[in-house]
Amino acid sequence: MEKRIDTAWCPGCGNFAIRDVLEQAIRELPVPAGKVVLTSGIGQAAKMPHYLGVNYFNGLHGRSLPLAVGIKLARPDLTVVAYSGDGCMYGEGGNHFLHTIRRRLDLTILVSDNRVYALTKGQSSPTTDPGVKNPLSPEGSRNIPLNPLALAITMGAPFVARGFAGEKEHLKELIKQAILFKGTALVDILQPCVSFNKINTYGWYKERVFCLESPMTDRYEAMKTADLWGGKIPIGVIYRNESAQCRQVKEIFRKQATREDMECQVDMKCVMMR
Amino acid sequence: MEMNIVIAGEAGQGAFSVELELTETLSRLNTHFFATKHYMSRVRGGHNYHMIRVADHPVHALRGGKWDMVVALDEETKRLHKPNLREGGVTLSREMTKEIGAAAKEAFGNIVASNSILVGVVLAVIGASPEKAAEAAEPGKEEYLKAGFEFAARWKLTGALPVSATAGEHRKFDGNQALALGAILGGCQFVAGYPMTPATSILNYFSEAASKLPIHFEQAEDEIAAINMVLGASYAGVRSMAATSGGGFALMQEGVSLAGMTETPVVIAVSQRPGPATGLPTRTEQGDLNFILHAGHGEFPRIIFAPGAIGEMIALTRKSFELADRFQIPVFILTDQYFADSVQICEEEIPLDAGSREYREFDGTYKRYQLTEDGISPLTYPGLSEALVRLDSDEHDEEGKITEDQGMRIRMTDKRRKKIALLQKEAVLPSFYGDRDAASFVLCWGSTKHIVKEAAERLTGEGIPAAVLHFGQVYPLTPEMVAPYNLEEKRLVGVENNAGGQFARLLKSELGLAVDHAVLKYDGDCFTVEELYQTLKGVLS
Repeated sequence: MEKRIDTAWCPGCGNFAIRDVLEQAIRELPVPAGKVVLTSGIGQAAKMPHYLGVNYFNGLHGRSLPLAVGIKLARPDLTVVAYSGDGCMYGEGGNHFLHTIRRRLDLTILVSDNRVYALTKGQSSPTTDPGVKNPLSPEGSRNIPLNPLALAITMGAPFVARGFAGEKEHLKELIKQAILFKGTALVDILQPCVSFNKINTYGWYKERVFCLESPMTDRYEAMKTADLWGGKIPIGVIYRNESAQCRQVKEIFRKQATREDMECQVDMKCVMMR
Repeated sequence: MEMNIVIAGEAGQGAFSVELELTETLSRLNTHFFATKHYMSRVRGGHNYHMIRVADHPVHALRGGKWDMVVALDEETKRLHKPNLREGGVTLSREMTKEIGAAAKEAFGNIVASNSILVGVVLAVIGASPEKAAEAAEPGKEEYLKAGFEFAARWKLTGALPVSATAGEHRKFDGNQALALGAILGGCQFVAGYPMTPATSILNYFSEAASKLPIHFEQAEDEIAAINMVLGASYAGVRSMAATSGGGFALMQEGVSLAGMTETPVVIAVSQRPGPATGLPTRTEQGDLNFILHAGHGEFPRIIFAPGAIGEMIALTRKSFELADRFQIPVFILTDQYFADSVQICEEEIPLDAGSREYREFDGTYKRYQLTEDGISPLTYPGLSEALVRLDSDEHDEEGKITEDQGMRIRMTDKRRKKIALLQKEAVLPSFYGDRDAASFVLCWGSTKHIVKEAAERLTGEGIPAAVLHFGQVYPLTPEMVAPYNLEEKRLVGVENNAGGQFARLLKSELGLAVDHAVLKYDGDCFTVEELYQTLKGVLS
């Protein structure tokens, strides 16, 4: 990592490991880095694109996905990756998460999931476990956590994976597979937050994670695996559906309508009148 | 000569179809007309009416006053519109339209044919020749029109309200079609939206155009997604537009601010309806000017157009895309239900050459927010050259990297603000009608243009001189726009389709002009010429 960059992350943050992995993964892709675009929202994780040598549009809270959709529809030649945290992707942008999967585009969704709001200093996120105490939940979080993997599988996402910032080589391969997969791919990344999550620490995860040998291809088996939490936590490709159809996107970039098209348009002959 | 007709009935009874077919046929017969509608937010039932002004001269507004002809598709029409029929006017009563319906079923086995038969009756009433009408008919509907002419003959209505065909070469559009066409001519290739009256027909136009042209339309899950998709597409390299109404635009606001900060070119069409909140979903108002003026947190430049005629709508929407790219700012097209749903003919020449973006290439030293003399940084798109294109919603440095450096904050704010001076130079001047020496000036903006123009012309003709200034660009307002008219010495009347006189306040704050009389309407309908004429006469006499 370039030393001159002053990152906004805390010393020991899981995002450093993810950044290194992401940089290597992008370098190892059969695509020039200049053709890669990252979109992100708001939060500590959403600052990721600033620390990588790629094109990026760091937008607003929760909106990394609609930005990514617009970019991919305009420019299917670009490799588009949306990157943000659990609060941004599953909370503020929860509706976009559902509907982006439905669009069947060739997009990659990477989520630094630290199960807490870090930038705003420790409040509950959509993935915070019940009972966890923090400044806005002094008596403990009352909500059941969102399960991003099960949700993505339910929505029909054809590639659903979980990685861990403490397993860098494994994570790198997951990210590469996700980006190269033709379709919407999710990698939820377990990311220890050293400042605000004192429960799901590196040590806590190290005791629990195990690598899946091969991707599940049965949706219902995958759902069961996606449900595992607390005791043993699976990492790897939870679900992979090779037969899912990715949507074909029409090429429009730098294509101009012909004069005949325009005449037709101006005469309104091409437009339905009701 | 002119003939003003109202065709009224329940939603779903066919009045809308009659309007569409009649206006299409009148256009083919080279007859001037203006058509608009008053409809309820429901799919069936209620009471809707379609108002068509047919004339032997160009007409671009509703005349108002008494009807020359009333067509009743329901019982309500008699109660609501018959009292407003002029003496000697023509009525097609509910009994007569029922008879047409029965004939449609009996002769053609198709109740829908009654719409075309009604069109035939109206054409006979204005004295169109049956042969020309048959030529102008939609293919397969010639017999239906003929049956209409026969009904008219039997009822002794042939030529009862004659109007001759005097229109030259023209095209016919409703306001939203003109807006969408202007966007396509401006090189717009991407639209994302969520349906909302009265903007939905803009989206319809694009979804249809996308099946043939290099254009993409995406139905978004909500307006927040829509504006962000549009900004994503613009960033990626294609001219893009969002279209919605006030309530949907409320959700888009964060995206406006994002466009301002990231300097992403975007065009946003807002078709107004009466608010607050859901308001009157299918009626008209000019109530969102203040909202659009101030939409989006933070300070950044913008342009707002509010065209009032078909040719002007096409030209200004087209221009919006050029300006959005050139200054890397959001540009707004402000329209309303009245203009969106009014069909009229346009005799102006429409340029066919579509605009397009410039695709510049740079090396690896490219900086998206390079500080320049005029505040405009070189613009390019990802994946075209060595240049990495980096945008950030945070305050950023020249490379697009997040920064909290206060010196940089000031430099970037100044850079964005420098564009204001450039926009001032580009301002589109208002349209002027009348005599510069007139003591009274009527000031208006957006869709009221032709209503005001016609009412003022009538007053002038009667010895009450009233000049008209119509602002197709409502922001920024510049001193050059009004310099030739000595407005400080005139009696100024502001006409607006809202309750607060929003444009009058803007004239005061931006140009120091005080409007002496406000003529406001906010019941959900547009003004008619007759109504405005009477009001202005009271004010100016």
